[in-house]
Amino acid sequence: MSDVDLINQARQGDDAAWLALVSQHQEGVFRLAYLLLGDADEARDVAQEAFIRAFQALDRFEAGRPLRPWLLQIAANLARNRQRAAGRYLAALKRWLQREPEAVGPSPQDEHLQQQEAQRLWQAVRRLSQADQEIIYLRYFLELSVAETAEAAGLAQGTVKSRLSRALERLRQVIEREFPGLWKERVA
Amino acid sequence: MSQGLWPRSGGASPDEAWEARLAETARAFVYPATPNIAESVRQRLRAEGQPRAALVRRGWVWAALISLAILGGLLSVPQVRAAVVEFLQIGAIRIFLTEPTPTPVPSPTPPPATPAGQAATPSPVPTPSPVPTPLTSVLELAGETTLAEAQEKAGFPIRLPAYPAELGPPDRVFLQDLGGPAVVLVWLEPGRPERVRLSLHQLGRGAMAEKGNPRQIEETTVHGQRAIWAEGPYLLQFRRGNQVEFDFRRLIEGHVLIWTEGDMTYRLETNLPLAETVRVAESLE
Repeated sequence: MSDVDLINQARQGDDAAWLALVSQHQEGVFRLAYLLLGDADEARDVAQEAFIRAFQALDRFEAGRPLRPWLLQIAANLARNRQRAAGRYLAALKRWLQREPEAVGPSPQDEHLQQQEAQRLWQAVRRLSQADQEIIYLRYFLELSVAETAEAAGLAQGTVKSRLSRALERLRQVIEREFPGLWKERVA
Repeated sequence: MSQGLWPRSGGASPDEAWEARLAETARAFVYPATPNIAESVRQRLRAEGQPRAALVRRGWVWAALISLAILGGLLSVPQVRAAVVEFLQIGAIRIFLTEPTPTPVPSPTPPPATPAGQAATPSPVPTPSPVPTPLTSVLELAGETTLAEAQEKAGFPIRLPAYPAELGPPDRVFLQDLGGPAVVLVWLEPGRPERVRLSLHQLGRGAMAEKGNPRQIEETTVHGQRAIWAEGPYLLQFRRGNQVEFDFRRLIEGHVLIWTEGDMTYRLETNLPLAETVRVAESLE
């Protein structure tokens, strides 16, 4: 059954239809929240809240629009608000310091090399502004199309392209400055 | 830095090979296992007693209350006897269509001047009006702030028009909580700080506004998406969250273009003609 059918059923009061949509989209929403927050527990909370908020606002959801970008947008907003909460910065810093050795530690196994690179890439992306992070996560980590990225970011497609271009340039500078070893092993 | 690792195509943007490597690496990112969010959502909906059917019913009640409030507000203004027939909604803005009637604005009566040295005579306390007196200018809005602070607190990227090219940053910025964040940017006529050249409302999720009785409404598009063009005068009213009461009302005399992008609702108020206004709207970045 398509998203459109399930949304229509959910609007009519069929909670099971909404839960089917949650099951279908929970992975993407959770992953975006995790990328933005860096903590699985917080990401779970944000993802859950995003689905609750979306459910409550279903009447305002325009029929025919894709659901996934809307859900991702709600999750990004919630994650952004949560990042502003008092005390979160210190908690995040503490977790980050605890995770750092694991994240950057060398792995002798070739099959882990790309995963290590991905971790370091994530750390590099996290040095960027919130807006840059969001657009990079949507486009490259969650692999949304430009059109879906535009929908999720609430931007025109042309604006998404120009913002992506600028965000990638800033990411390139961060990598060159702070992660010069990223990708060197496999390219050399 | 190795040029072999970081080939550039001579411009500011990263080249395609670099972008492809980025995409490939991002694809390899290992996420924590996704928890069973559907189950926790189900439990929470059950615990909070929010089956969809109840929400649907509540939505009808809410709509009815708002309609009554609008109708009551309009009828309480002398000489306004407009019959509400239906409404249009675009994003966070709901437009009530009424019979075309003039919309008078009750102007506040200044207190009588008291001669110096003479004790003021207590005057009868006026009966509060059920209809807040409309603001006559966007410049009277509360919540004035700076663009930087608004950007920090709004929770969404504030977008500025790139057209007209000489427009520059807004002269005045207002940040309000209307059940969701709302930012109002105002550009003034050069050399005339009392006159508004253009104002742009950016309403985030949860914010809500209603307007009644525009002189003319027509549908148009912004970036190919449905938009509404309304010509004043009419009353614009804002409420907070699920409140029925309006936080404030404002008389709109110019023309307004309303459109949505994602969960954002934009409202551009200007005296420009429709085509020019659409051009301004499509230049937001």
